Amino acid sequence: MAEPEVDLSKKYDAVIIGSGAAGGMAAHVLTTRGLQVLMLEAGKKLNIEQELRSMEWPYDNPHRGALPPDSHSLNFNEYTIRRPPYGPGFEKSKHLKSYIGDSDYTKNIVVDERENPYTGTNYAWVRARCLGGKTNIWGRLALRLSDYDFKAKDRDGFGENWPISYSDIAPYYDKVDMYLGITGVKENLPYLPDSIFQRPTKLTCAEVTLKQGLQKMGRVLTQYRAGVTTDGLKHNKYRSRCYGRGACSRKGGCDIHAAFDSPTGLIYPAMDTGNLTLRTGATVREITVDPQTGKASGVHFTDSQTMKDYTVRGKVVIVAASTLESARLLLLSKSRQYPNGLANSSGHVGHNFCEHVMGPHVYGQAMDLVGKPSTLDDGRPGSFYIPRYRNLTEKHSKFIRGYGFEGGSGNQMFPANTSFPGFGASFKEEIRKNKGSYIGMGAFGEVLARYENYVDLDPFVKDKWGIPALRFHYKFGENEHRMAEDMKETAQEMFEASGFKILEVSDRVLTEGWSIHELGTARMGNDPKTSVLNQFEQSHDIKNLFVVDGSAFVNASCQNPTWTIMALCWRSCDYLADELGKGNL
Amino acid sequence: MSGNNPIDLKQDRRQWLQTSAAVLGAAVLPIPAAAADPQVTPTTPTPTPSAPEPKSPARFFTPTQHMLIEELSETIIPADSHSGGAKAAKVADFIEITIRETTDDAQKSLWREGLRLIDLMSKHYNGRSFVDATPEEKIAVLKILSDNEQMQDLTEVRFFKDLKDLTVRGYYTSKIGIHDELDYKGNRVLQEFVGCDDPTPSA
Repeated sequence: MAEPEVDLSKKYDAVIIGSGAAGGMAAHVLTTRGLQVLMLEAGKKLNIEQELRSMEWPYDNPHRGALPPDSHSLNFNEYTIRRPPYGPGFEKSKHLKSYIGDSDYTKNIVVDERENPYTGTNYAWVRARCLGGKTNIWGRLALRLSDYDFKAKDRDGFGENWPISYSDIAPYYDKVDMYLGITGVKENLPYLPDSIFQRPTKLTCAEVTLKQGLQKMGRVLTQYRAGVTTDGLKHNKYRSRCYGRGACSRKGGCDIHAAFDSPTGLIYPAMDTGNLTLRTGATVREITVDPQTGKASGVHFTDSQTMKDYTVRGKVVIVAASTLESARLLLLSKSRQYPNGLANSSGHVGHNFCEHVMGPHVYGQAMDLVGKPSTLDDGRPGSFYIPRYRNLTEKHSKFIRGYGFEGGSGNQMFPANTSFPGFGASFKEEIRKNKGSYIGMGAFGEVLARYENYVDLDPFVKDKWGIPALRFHYKFGENEHRMAEDMKETAQEMFEASGFKILEVSDRVLTEGWSIHELGTARMGNDPKTSVLNQFEQSHDIKNLFVVDGSAFVNASCQNPTWTIMALCWRSCDYLADELGKGNL
Repeated sequence: MSGNNPIDLKQDRRQWLQTSAAVLGAAVLPIPAAAADPQVTPTTPTPTPSAPEPKSPARFFTPTQHMLIEELSETIIPADSHSGGAKAAKVADFIEITIRETTDDAQKSLWREGLRLIDLMSKHYNGRSFVDATPEEKIAVLKILSDNEQMQDLTEVRFFKDLKDLTVRGYYTSKIGIHDELDYKGNRVLQEFVGCDDPTPSA
């Protein structure tokens, strides 16, 4: 299917590479400011409602919702015992997908691993090349960062501070809340600032028990702060309010778009301004440079299907291809003038790569719920969140920084536990009588941003489009592993304090990349020698080049990044529009 | 076969494998891959030396095997006063599709072999095929496998595990499993999530 023709002869005010949370936000802000914007997306515009089919019952699906048998999605074991590229060894499968992509509903959203190889250290890299990118299937937890994160170096001496404070970004968090909608409950925590919340959802009974258990320990459990509109958005005709249809976690996506996604939340409204041109199927190979001025001149891309090459010009180039793809693109954009790649005079592009460590978890039962009649427990966009409690007022002796927990509980469509021994009438009864009593939670911890964790270009391996693959040099360190032990211990103590029967508690760390929260590969900073971008995500080297996705982060914090990516991007694009208006770019 | 008198599966299986070899008049193990292919030769020993039973080419399992799977899955998740069992939930149809479509040849062989071995076990312990056995006799055969689940070197034990996994998946994704058995209340439009009243004061 050919991509729609778009005008590539004119010089756009801004060319945006990528259509996820960052690219969508850049398009929203800049088109609202009256700029003529071209957005390039490598993948297709999917018929997303047809992909997600949020209310389809498993028995109405030919494979009960599972991935068709000609496809395979990588699992933890395979990520552990194999090395990237992960294609070889799966020749029997027509399609090979990341661990996300293991269902009939997500299979077309994530890329085929074989077309998109990478090399180096083990990494579970989840990539969604389609309009909206990973926002089509994101987990929806929408948290703010605080000065505990932005000024973390002041607290423990590690790494760098961000070139901004909470007060700089707070007004933009407010804008994101109001424009996109978020549900949650105010808690007045200095280390997890409140948003402007719409109507919250309630906790289940097991979660109330856990909350009370935590209160005895001085810890907080709060409703899942979901980037989901529970009251609706009068200014957006593409999105419905949340109707609690549930199964949000089963498929990830939301086909009525109550959960934020970039196309309905940002891109379609931006197109309605008349200022946005969208070119899908555009695999960007390089950001081009004007040899006279040394500034970015535009973009060179290949049509993803026809393999034909195109160039397009822009006054400003905005990179929003996702943390790792953006770093790759900067490194690919080598020239006589910029032999190390674009925006890389510091040598920091691809470095300081960080994310969240995952895996340690606890799982148990609220025994008072065993044998109770079914209740509706999954009709909400998320369950609960436990904000960090480490290294706030006291210093932990074994690690710096912190971690939080995401969890869930209660009845769900497929029973949470079927692993009873034996078979027959008693087996069936065990599943039935226990089904509503389960509760579990898993930790997300800050991986320290370290220079020695980095990506570069593989000298030999190329992707389907002949573009050099990314090579990983990335491992969790001592701090992460010591933190993982503490996650397990405190998870256990919280469940014990709540009177739950513990069925499983583990400090097993999942493969690097599992959190899908990769960050930091083009970090911001005040010093051009040790950072790639300034506080407005503008290249120190090239004034008309901006990198507005997670690569700009200075550290990972332990909070999920999407809301911060969008707030930062909004702030940066406001600045960009001002500067362009003044003729400074 | 009670807990007080556990059977020795490894000891016993020599006998029932020998019995079957005598019946077939040939060595049973190992089965060459080609001979195990149902497109080439029916691998389930038919109880009577009648002509090969007719089989739709589209289906992986023969009608006899299908009936055996129905009985096996129903033994794992039986009908009770609360709801229908695996048979009513058509779990055997789900298993048919899953095994027919899998690209995992080892799983296909496991099912062919597993069904054959289970029937041999039933003949050995119960004196009749699994399908013809009484409910108690069926339970007795599966209990031997369930009690010896650590013996993963034995085909029939590995088969039992896969049988149980697929039965659970098929059953709890069926209409009967979701609505009648679990009484699942979600996946519908809600005005308000009910949840639980939270007596604790907020911050």
